[in-house]
Amino acid sequence: MKIAFALSENHHRSYIDDHFGRCNWYGVYDTDTKKAQYLENPNRYAEEGAGCTSVDYLMEYGIQAIVAGRFGSRVVELLKKKNIQMIIPEGTKTMEEIIKLYKN
Amino acid sequence: MSPRTKKIRLIQRRPSFAGFRPYGNQKPGACEVALNFEEYEAIKLCDYELLTHSEASAMMNISRPTFTRIYESARRKIAKAFVEGSTICIEGGKSVVNTHWQECQTCKISFSVTEKNPHVCPLCQTPVLEELEIQ
Repeated sequence: MKIAFALSENHHRSYIDDHFGRCNWYGVYDTDTKKAQYLENPNRYAEEGAGCTSVDYLMEYGIQAIVAGRFGSRVVELLKKKNIQMIIPEGTKTMEEIIKLYKN
Repeated sequence: MSPRTKKIRLIQRRPSFAGFRPYGNQKPGACEVALNFEEYEAIKLCDYELLTHSEASAMMNISRPTFTRIYESARRKIAKAFVEGSTICIEGGKSVVNTHWQECQTCKISFSVTEKNPHVCPLCQTPVLEELEIQ
């Protein structure tokens, strides 16, 4: 499974960003190969629809779940339609901490 | 004649906090302002996510005039709390959480339910028994 993370910085110890559409980086973690890649968010300064454009962008990487602090309402609707799972951690957590919780 | 029943308003997600409190010179026994969940949602959709009233009303499954009324009421309550220095409690109303969220107690996360794995935590793969309370 590929999981996308909304991140503030481009490394695995970065905190999960509060806002899915406006974060600086996306981390895409593959649970099979245990490798992560980091993508700069091309839509972070977009005036409108940053979240929905980012969903399409991340879909190209074949993600099945997204971890972020909060999702906008339009993004929630879109992700439900595309059957992608949304994960919201309680409090502030790093990408590494979430990955450690993952079990096959 | 009994009043017409209110249509149930859809909200995306409840706030993770219970309300707001002013700081500084707090009056003892200052009255509280109760903002209901649909009013919170109206402010969020309109002023935080910058949707138009008609887009936001579609999202909440209510008519545009009803949305505008809820939004006005929310603004007045917030203004009252702001000026009078009252506490705001976010509670009650007639709404239902549209997206089905579940919580995993082990991982301390909430996740949305998808068709594939409706009742299993996406991280630790433990089946989740307890559903989030829906009012």
